[in-house]
Amino acid sequence: MNRQDRIRNFCIVAHIDHGKSTLADRFIEITNTVDKRDMNSQLLDSMDIERERGITIKLTPTTMKYNYNGEEYTLNLIDTPGHVDFSYEVSRSLMACEGAILVVDASQGVQAQTLANVYLAFDAKLEIIPVINKVDLPSANPEKVIKEIEDIIGIPADDAPLISAKTGLNIESVLKKVVETIPPPKGDENAPLKALVFDSYYDSYKGAVSMVRIVDGKVRAGDQIKFMQTGKSFEVTEVGIFNPKNSECEQLQAGDVGYICASIKNVSDTKVGDTITLVNNPTAQPLEGFKEALPMVFSGIFPLDGSKYEELKDALEKLQLNDASLHFEKETSAALGHGFRCGFLGLLHMEITNERLEREFGLDLITTAPSVEYKIKEINKSPYLISNPSFMPNPQAIEEIEEPIVKMEIITPPEYLGNIMDLCSERRGEYKNMQYLDENRTKLNYIMPLNEIVYDFFDKIKSLSKGYASMDYELCGYKPSDLVKMDILLNGEVCDALSIIVHRSKAYKRGKALCEKLKEVIPRHLFEIPIQAVIGGKVIARETISAVRKDVLAKCYGGDVTRKRKLLEKQKEGKKRMRKLGSVELPSEAFISILKIDD
Amino acid sequence: MKNNDVEQVDKEQLIPNQEIENKKSDFDNNTSQNPNETHQQEDTEKKEEKRFLSNKKFKKFDKARYREQKCREWEIKIVNQNMKDDKLGLYIHIPFCDRKCDYCDFVSYSMDENAQHDFQQALFKEIDMYRTQCEKMVFNSIYIGGGTPSVMYEGFIYELARKVYSTFHFEGDIEFTIEVNPNSVTYDKLLEYLRAGVNRVSVGVQCIDSKILKNVGRFQTIENIDNTFDLLKKMGFINTSADVMIGLPNQSLDAVKDTINYLIDKNVKHISVYTLQLEENTPLYKNVKMGKIKPLGDEACIKMYNTVTKMLKENGFIRYEVSNFAIPTYESRHNFKYWKDVDYLGLGVSAHSFLENYRFSNTCRLDEYIDMLNNGQFPIVNKEFIRDSERRTEYIMLSLRLATGLNLEKFRKRFKEDLLKTRAKQIHDLIKNGYLYIEDGFLKIAPQHFYVSNRIILELL
Repeated sequence: MNRQDRIRNFCIVAHIDHGKSTLADRFIEITNTVDKRDMNSQLLDSMDIERERGITIKLTPTTMKYNYNGEEYTLNLIDTPGHVDFSYEVSRSLMACEGAILVVDASQGVQAQTLANVYLAFDAKLEIIPVINKVDLPSANPEKVIKEIEDIIGIPADDAPLISAKTGLNIESVLKKVVETIPPPKGDENAPLKALVFDSYYDSYKGAVSMVRIVDGKVRAGDQIKFMQTGKSFEVTEVGIFNPKNSECEQLQAGDVGYICASIKNVSDTKVGDTITLVNNPTAQPLEGFKEALPMVFSGIFPLDGSKYEELKDALEKLQLNDASLHFEKETSAALGHGFRCGFLGLLHMEITNERLEREFGLDLITTAPSVEYKIKEINKSPYLISNPSFMPNPQAIEEIEEPIVKMEIITPPEYLGNIMDLCSERRGEYKNMQYLDENRTKLNYIMPLNEIVYDFFDKIKSLSKGYASMDYELCGYKPSDLVKMDILLNGEVCDALSIIVHRSKAYKRGKALCEKLKEVIPRHLFEIPIQAVIGGKVIARETISAVRKDVLAKCYGGDVTRKRKLLEKQKEGKKRMRKLGSVELPSEAFISILKIDD
Repeated sequence: MKNNDVEQVDKEQLIPNQEIENKKSDFDNNTSQNPNETHQQEDTEKKEEKRFLSNKKFKKFDKARYREQKCREWEIKIVNQNMKDDKLGLYIHIPFCDRKCDYCDFVSYSMDENAQHDFQQALFKEIDMYRTQCEKMVFNSIYIGGGTPSVMYEGFIYELARKVYSTFHFEGDIEFTIEVNPNSVTYDKLLEYLRAGVNRVSVGVQCIDSKILKNVGRFQTIENIDNTFDLLKKMGFINTSADVMIGLPNQSLDAVKDTINYLIDKNVKHISVYTLQLEENTPLYKNVKMGKIKPLGDEACIKMYNTVTKMLKENGFIRYEVSNFAIPTYESRHNFKYWKDVDYLGLGVSAHSFLENYRFSNTCRLDEYIDMLNNGQFPIVNKEFIRDSERRTEYIMLSLRLATGLNLEKFRKRFKEDLLKTRAKQIHDLIKNGYLYIEDGFLKIAPQHFYVSNRIILELL
């Protein structure tokens, strides 16, 4: 048996919350990769946000040793994100594997992300091992789920292990199946080096670190390597594997999953999807890379304190080192000053990025309402894209506006069909077809404008279906649409950061809701403040914040000046967190209030 | 009152009411070096004013103008008087009540004779502990607040006064205030206060409609209040103050008007008007949250406040602070110390002090207070050095609450900051919109905007 025959490279794919990370934890435990006392749950979710929210954002590989029939096998596992925003991360990790474990929740069955991910695995020609998780739950119905997998996905599942990652039931049988069913890598150790970069991150000591799958050849410290796409060469300083923390090893060979450090200063030099080869013995043909992930949602991010612009820039650059899908460019707003227009994969990605900026870099931010990218055709000009409503030209100059549309797939129990279909049509969805998967599940297909789903569509679907429905979407092009730019006037002045692009049919409702929401979040001032929603000079909605007429008149009790002073200081702090627009002070939440509108 | 006066007071026998009243009038002229002189001067002024106002030739408008002008003159007088006052104030907190009102979040415990005695012993220990530290300090006001000081057992205030006189140094006349509750005032107690040297009584009237008070857990009747003022008059207490609350649930504007008219009729010299505030952790807060009690809206409160202001102004009161109104010369000297750069010492449960740039406060718990003092410790739980930046905030916040406003020159010297420059834009805007004005080097909040003073102050911080 040669070296590669004892290697298995696989990942775990699943719908969000079906138990990927817990299963990964059990594998690590069983194979004694980490000391029991160092185990903390969701081991591979290293970010605080990941642990808190119970989601995986970054893919994280780990190398485990497993004894099977007296032989020691090396199992390289890559945990993947389950949220729709991060499906591009999934597709990347699949390229580094020969097989995938498909985890399906025994009571929830096949969900939209299950399907989306399993199709990605099919595309990558992976061997798929279905596993039924959470069989310990009282609501578990493994037989039904097995049937579902066979009917809907079309792979045999009668011998799928019935496990509980939480209690540790039957975990061993999954590992056995991994060894038995997933084919070993078939690279050529003696061929020139060919390594696929499937991810990279920045380490402040080692520089940009590439996570690689060695397809052919071998690499060790001291080798001169070359990134075939960028053409740049570096000297390798360290190679190693993940178990699950980085641990240095002598060399990486065909079939291995590991990392390469080469004192690379810019993460942009380690492009994900690039092929690494040796300078003095290069391979002829690079590997097929991945499509770059394109941002779909855009929003402005501004420092609350205008003088922190440089710090924000720094923080974004650092985040980008580990998150190639984050895009940003400079933006200047009349209301908010200097900041950045940032592109995200989706709303969750945006939320997480914001949270990380605030938490890891201690920044206070103002985030404007998310927007999608519109295609503007002006008369006698070639079409261009805008993601910032304030760049929208005069309506008279516009010949046509196109908006991005997506193919939407929703799986729901039939009792919620009515509600969900209502929601979809309200969101300008175009019904395509419906498919009964079984008596408990229906698949809906819609074509929808992206701008109708970026705000709260996912949450809405969840709440309309008591959490049972799931969704997945992919961009499928642009479509002309009757869109208008709506401005918000505060005390008669336009606040550019509150402008949005909206479909004409919804402008009135949205404008009214936005005015009402702003009335709620803007504190009362000493004077009256009119809030107006305006389209092309025409006021379509108005609210008024009445002036403050009374504030604290408390007794200065027994000389307790401190209490009063602290109260004032707190209010002053609160004031500092406000942005002054003309004479009106806006709290930072005003800028994303549009997100919280219920329409 | 000096230490050797104690004996004298002690020996005083019960004297006919008329005599006490004559004697008390001396106490009242506590703002001047020579009480008799001021008294005479005041009398002639009053006569002159009466003559002027009764002259039918003058129209209403002129009379109003006359009053206005008089008020200004007084204001300037007050500034001069109180600016000069650099003596300390002594505050003593009595943490007992008959029953705590539903809106109250001040520290108070229900009555219990044993607890009162334990408290007395602890308090006296605390007084002793400050003897050395305060050796060089000179006081000229005492304020016994609470809680309800009048619920204390008989003899307590007298003993306390003796203890205080024999421990701290007083100079000149003293303003000695005690807070009383109409329910617990008796002839004997007032006599005791008189003998103790009390010369100012603050009555917790709140509202004369007992139904409205009952609704917020305060039980007192108009008979109690009548009785209190009758006794005060009989005993010769002229310098009387009343606390009035507005914005109580179900309180009508008429109820507020009736209360103010009643107090004017009772010849009260000083009125504090507080808007009801919903404090967390009070029964009222709970009742409001549960929808059992509906609080009054802002507009109703504003109307009440404006009505009170107008009524009191028409009756010779000056609003010298956001919520304090007084017949000229009856401003509370003790309260002024809180608003000025003057030190004060607070004793008793949860009392607050400001001494030599430190603000500190005692524990809020009676048992802890007693324990700490029994162990020879100061019962202080919070102590904070007030840096200039904090003092600046306090200065702005406190001085703008006063009708006299903020002395720009003094501020500049004290904090090396010219507010007119550092807050140029804010002040400009506030003046432009009529919220602030500058007069004789003082920055003042326009009287009609006192009710939003917090907002205005915030702009200047």
